[in-house]
Amino acid sequence: MRTRHSVFSLLATVVILSLLAAQCGAPATPQTIVETVVVEKEVVKEVEKVVTLEVEKEVVKEVEKVVTKEVEKIVEVPAEEMELVYMTAGDVNMLALSQNLLAAEFKKIDPSVNLRSIHTGPGEAGSRLIFEKLMADKEAGKETGDVDVAMVHQVFLTWAMAEEGLLLKYAPDLETFQYVTASDAKNALGANVDGYVMPMFHSQTALAYDPAVVTDPPTSYEELVAWVQENPGKFGYNGIKGGMSGVSFTVGWIYWKSGNYEKYAVTGPFDEAEVATWQAGLEEMKDFNEYVTFTAGNVGTLDALNRGEIVMGPVWVDMFYTFMQEGKLNPDMKLIVPEPGMPGQPMYFIIPANAPHPEQAKQFVQYVTSPEVQGEVIIDRYNWYPGIDGKFVADAAPPEAFDRLYQDISPETLSSFGLSFPLADYFTAMLEAYERWVIGGGS
Amino acid sequence: MAVAKSDASLQDKKGERLAWAFPLALLLPATALMLVLYAWPFVSSVYRSFLAKGGELTLANYQKAFELYFRDVVFSLEVAILSTIVAAILSITLSAYVRLSSGRLVKLISLLYRLPIFIPFVVVGQMMRTFLAPHGLLNIFLAQVGVIDLNAPLQLFNMQGLVLSFVWKQAPFMTLIILGGFQMIDDAFVEAARSVGANILQVILRVLVPMNRASISVAIILAFTSTVGTFTLPFMLIGGKIPTTVTVDIAHRVTYFGDWGVANALGVLMYLMVLIMAIYYLRYSVKKGIYEA
Repeated sequence: MRTRHSVFSLLATVVILSLLAAQCGAPATPQTIVETVVVEKEVVKEVEKVVTLEVEKEVVKEVEKVVTKEVEKIVEVPAEEMELVYMTAGDVNMLALSQNLLAAEFKKIDPSVNLRSIHTGPGEAGSRLIFEKLMADKEAGKETGDVDVAMVHQVFLTWAMAEEGLLLKYAPDLETFQYVTASDAKNALGANVDGYVMPMFHSQTALAYDPAVVTDPPTSYEELVAWVQENPGKFGYNGIKGGMSGVSFTVGWIYWKSGNYEKYAVTGPFDEAEVATWQAGLEEMKDFNEYVTFTAGNVGTLDALNRGEIVMGPVWVDMFYTFMQEGKLNPDMKLIVPEPGMPGQPMYFIIPANAPHPEQAKQFVQYVTSPEVQGEVIIDRYNWYPGIDGKFVADAAPPEAFDRLYQDISPETLSSFGLSFPLADYFTAMLEAYERWVIGGGS
Repeated sequence: MAVAKSDASLQDKKGERLAWAFPLALLLPATALMLVLYAWPFVSSVYRSFLAKGGELTLANYQKAFELYFRDVVFSLEVAILSTIVAAILSITLSAYVRLSSGRLVKLISLLYRLPIFIPFVVVGQMMRTFLAPHGLLNIFLAQVGVIDLNAPLQLFNMQGLVLSFVWKQAPFMTLIILGGFQMIDDAFVEAARSVGANILQVILRVLVPMNRASISVAIILAFTSTVGTFTLPFMLIGGKIPTTVTVDIAHRVTYFGDWGVANALGVLMYLMVLIMAIYYLRYSVKKGIYEA
C-alpha cells in the first residue's frame, strides 16, 4: 500500500508540477520569446545596417586606396606609352622634322609623351585630308576624336572656321602666345583665326640673284621688267604648273598690276568683276615671258641659278638657304623682295575641339613655339622665318643663323613686302586668268 | 524504251545547258576584276567629266578643256607619236642587230639594253633634269668637244628633250618584246632570204618585220599608251612650260582647283587618243597575229 501511495504522490507531483509549469510558462513564454526574437532581429538588422555601413565605408576607403594606387599605377605606367597623335601637311621635310627631331626632343621635356606623326602630303591636298579627317570625326559624333594636334596651311582655316566648334581656342592658354605678333596669326585668307592657331614658321618667296652678274638688282617688279628686256633668258621661273615659287611670283605680279592687294588678300570679299581687270596686266606678262627661261620646278630654278643658266629667279627663302648650307647653291647668291612684295605663308598648329589629349597637345605646341626651339630648329636648321616675333628669338638663335636669315631681307622689308597669298577664290581665279591670258592654250 | 530514250536526251540537254554556262563561270573572276578595277572607274570618270561642281549635267568641262588646254592636248599627242616612232625604229634596229649577230658585244648589249626598263619614270626625270639642262652634262660635253658654244647651249627642256627621255625609257622595253618575236623566227627564213641575195636591210624589212607584225604592234601600243599617260617625267622636265602635257594639266586642275570635272574631261580626251590605237590593235593585230599564226 505504501508503495502505491508513494507512486500516486509522485504522479500527482509530476502532474501538478507539469500543470504549474504549463500554467506559468505556456501562455507567457512563447510570446515573449517571439517578441524578443523579433526585437533581436530588428536590433540585429539595425546593428547590421550600421555595421554594414561602417564596413562599407571602410571597404570603400580601402577600395579607394587600392583603386587610387592602381589608378596611379595605371597613370604612371601607360603614360609612358601615351601617344600624342600629330598630323602634319606639307613637304616630307615636315615629317622628318617631327619624327626625327621634335618627337625626341619633346620626350626629354615630357617623357610620358610619344609623338606619333602622320604625314598627309604637300600643298592644299595635305591640309584637305586633315580637314576631312576632323569632319569625319565630328559628323560621326565622336566626343573624343583621334587627332591631338595638327600642322596645316592657311587655306585649312578658311574651311575649318566655317564649321561650328571644330577647333579648340587654345592659343591664349600658352605662355608663348604673347610672342606672336604676326597679322596672319589673327587672319588667315580672310578667316578670323585669332586664338585658334599658333604659327610654327613663316616661309617667304623672294628673288634670288647672282651679285657677280647682277650688280644692281631690280628693287621692284617694274624695274625687273626693264632688266629682263635688257638681259633676255637670264631670268627664270617655273610657270604656275611647276611649283609654288612660280605661282608666288605670278600672284605678286597681279598684286603689282592691280594695286589691290588689300582687297584680294586681306579684306575681300570675292568679286568676279575684278578678274577682268587683270587681263591687260597678264597680257604684259605674256610679253615678259618671251624674255624668260622656264625652269623645271622650285628646285629647277635653284639648280639653274647654281649652274649659271639663269642669274635671277623667284625661290623659297628656306630652300635657298638650305641648298646653300648643303653645298648645292653658290654661297654668294643673294635675295631681294621686289616692291610691292611677294607672297609667303605660315604653317599653323591647330588643336581639334575633340582632341583626346588637349593638355599634352598644348604643351607640345608651347614647346615648339618657344624661343629656344624657334631659334635652334626653325631658324638654324630649317631656315624658316620664326612663327613668333623675331625679336624674341634673337637671343635664342645662333647669331650666325639669325644674321644669315635676315641679312638680305631685313625684318622691316619682311613686314612691308612679305605679303599673304590671296583669298581662296581670288587665288584660283588668278591661276585660271594666267592660263587664259598668259598661256592662252585654247583651240 | 521510248521513255528511256527521252530521259537520255533530256540529260543531254542539261549537259548542253551546263556546257553553255561553264566557260562563263571560268571567265567570271577575271571579268569581274576587270569590271571593278578598269571598267567601273572608266565609266565613272567619263560620267564625271559631264558633271558640273553642283552635280548637274553639263558640257562646260569640255568647253573649258578646249579653251585652256587644246594646245596641250595636241602637244601631248605629238610627243607620244614622235617618241613612239623614234623608239620603234631604234628598237627594231637593235632587235635585228641582236638577232642577226653573235659574239661577246652582242651578249653585253643584250644585257645592258634592259637596264632602263627597271628605272622608274621619276628617276629618269631626275636624271634628265641634270643631263639635259642648258649647263647640264650633255651640253658641257658637247661644248668640250667643240660642237656647241656653252653661252648658247641646246635648249632641251621642251619637246625634243621630252621625246629623247621617253625614247631612252621606252625603246628598251619595246626591244624586249620585239626581240622576243624575232627570236621565234626560224633561222631557215633568214638563211633562205640571204641565199637569194637579200641584204641585211631587206632581211629586216621583208622577213623579220612582216613576220613579227603582232609583237611589234604590241610593243608600239604599250609604249604609246604609257607615254600618253606618264605624268612624272613631263612634270619634272617641262612642268611649268608652255605648252605642257595633258597629264600635267590634269594634276594642275586637281591640285589648285579641286576641279575633277575638267580633270576628267581631259582624262577622256586621253582615253580617246589611246582608244584609236586600241581599236587598231584589236581589229588588225590580234586577228592576224592570233588566228592566222
